[in-house]
Amino acid sequence: MKILRNISFGQYIPRDSLIHNLDPRIKILSCLAIIVSLFLITKFSGYLILGNFVLISIIISKVHPKFVFRGLRPILFIILFTLIIHLFMTEGKVIYQLGFLKITQEGLIKGLLISFRLFILILATSLLTLATSPISLTDGIERLLAIFKFIGVPAHEIAMMMTIALRFIPTLLEETEKIMKAQISRGADFESGNIFNRAKNLIPILIPLFVNAFRRADELAIAMEAKCYRGGEGRTHYRELKIKKADILTFTFTVIVTVMVSIMF
Amino acid sequence: MFIHIENMRFTYSLGMPFETEVLKDINLEIDKGEFVGLIGHTGCGKTTLIQHFNGLLTPTSGKIYVEGVDLNKKGVNLKLIRQKIGLVFQYPENQLFEETIYQEIAFGPKKLGLPEEKIEKRVREALKMVDLDYNFYVERSPFSLSGGEMRRVALASILSIRPKMLILDEPTANLDPQGRDNILSEIKKIHYNFGMTVVLVSHNMEKVAETVKRLLVMYRGEIIMDGTPQEIFERHANDLIKVGLGLPQVTECMHKLKAKGKDVYTGVLTVDDAEREVLKKMKKPLKR
Repeated sequence: MKILRNISFGQYIPRDSLIHNLDPRIKILSCLAIIVSLFLITKFSGYLILGNFVLISIIISKVHPKFVFRGLRPILFIILFTLIIHLFMTEGKVIYQLGFLKITQEGLIKGLLISFRLFILILATSLLTLATSPISLTDGIERLLAIFKFIGVPAHEIAMMMTIALRFIPTLLEETEKIMKAQISRGADFESGNIFNRAKNLIPILIPLFVNAFRRADELAIAMEAKCYRGGEGRTHYRELKIKKADILTFTFTVIVTVMVSIMF
Repeated sequence: MFIHIENMRFTYSLGMPFETEVLKDINLEIDKGEFVGLIGHTGCGKTTLIQHFNGLLTPTSGKIYVEGVDLNKKGVNLKLIRQKIGLVFQYPENQLFEETIYQEIAFGPKKLGLPEEKIEKRVREALKMVDLDYNFYVERSPFSLSGGEMRRVALASILSIRPKMLILDEPTANLDPQGRDNILSEIKKIHYNFGMTVVLVSHNMEKVAETVKRLLVMYRGEIIMDGTPQEIFERHANDLIKVGLGLPQVTECMHKLKAKGKDVYTGVLTVDDAEREVLKKMKKPLKR
């Protein structure tokens, strides 16, 4: 049951820091700027600057680095996999050879570059979700998407769906754990057997989980209707997002850094 | 001794920002054939405690033995332990998943690798224990039942493993009074007729107190009282109120009588007992 304990995605860690208090729109846009420049950079020095930029942001956010780096764990395999593929599959100057496998200089450089890229990408996005409460995150997304309303993007509805989905992740995890425990108590076994048996063993978890999720969705819909929910039109916000001085400064700084590294490296 | 616990502690999310100590220094012994009620306020650690009994949770420190077997030792066959200790979760109807009630109840025995004819015998036996008619129910879908029936089927699906000890977490939650009485009388029957060791977990004094023979009271991760319900209600009434549990209505009534200067025994659990006690203490017996 350890699987369910260590999911850090979407986990918000409340702190009182500059990063936490930024406008969510600024945080999302800054994160986007970092991601875009990550894909434009082609040199190590560029990654070094951006990496340090993200690391400093982590320190400013007062979130323990342990939690940010925990986000890396699930994709560590992907990083390693791409590194290995690049190491062995790129043509070029051979620096090491073992039988038919050969490592080339170009492969090493390319592999490391891509690894750094993924590494910084995950760090930046983890920090975004760790330092922004789900509510303000979806609020920010709603306001940002509102720009595209004229081409028919239902910004409010999308944001509402995201809020609900985020809200129910912990609930469903908790429930999964409870059902797993209940079925283990009845003699179910989730830890042994081959892959087909294991998949089959999931049925006693999945069916109750779905039944409960549908029931819950139904109840939620009725509750929302009872409170006269009718979509985004004419809806006001309890907390209005306001751009402050710190937001403008942070965003300007981020844009300058990302544009500079993208152009120079 | 069936279950033996020494200085057990448990902390949730150890090393995480939301770390909380749920169990603090639990010492407990439960013998074979006992009928125990575990009561405490919501969030006091009852559910966490019973999940240690069959190895679903591992204590942060301390020891727990089931029939002399140390559950934390490496290589312990937890499957065997879970077969001995049947744990019925809160709202067990939420774990039903099979197409028919027969399959639902046969799930446990099947996992034990029993032959088909033995499985059928166990399904019949389990349905009988919860007072459901075999022929009427076996082919129906568990999702077509009423809440009370679903809960009984879920209970039967644990009983079919033939555990030596049955633990029930809030078995009466969300049931109407009649459903509650039915479940409790079935649990009583399972204890008295089949000699099963039973642990009943609840936050509600009423009814549970008059059902069990021994009462454990939990408060903030500790067991603060241990004794027969009569003893506890007679001696610790004020402490019970202090920890937010309160007394069953009749017991409270007797305590109030005593406070008014009537010398009555306050450890009563049922209205009948209370009537007898009051009549005994009246100067002139009432004529009926």
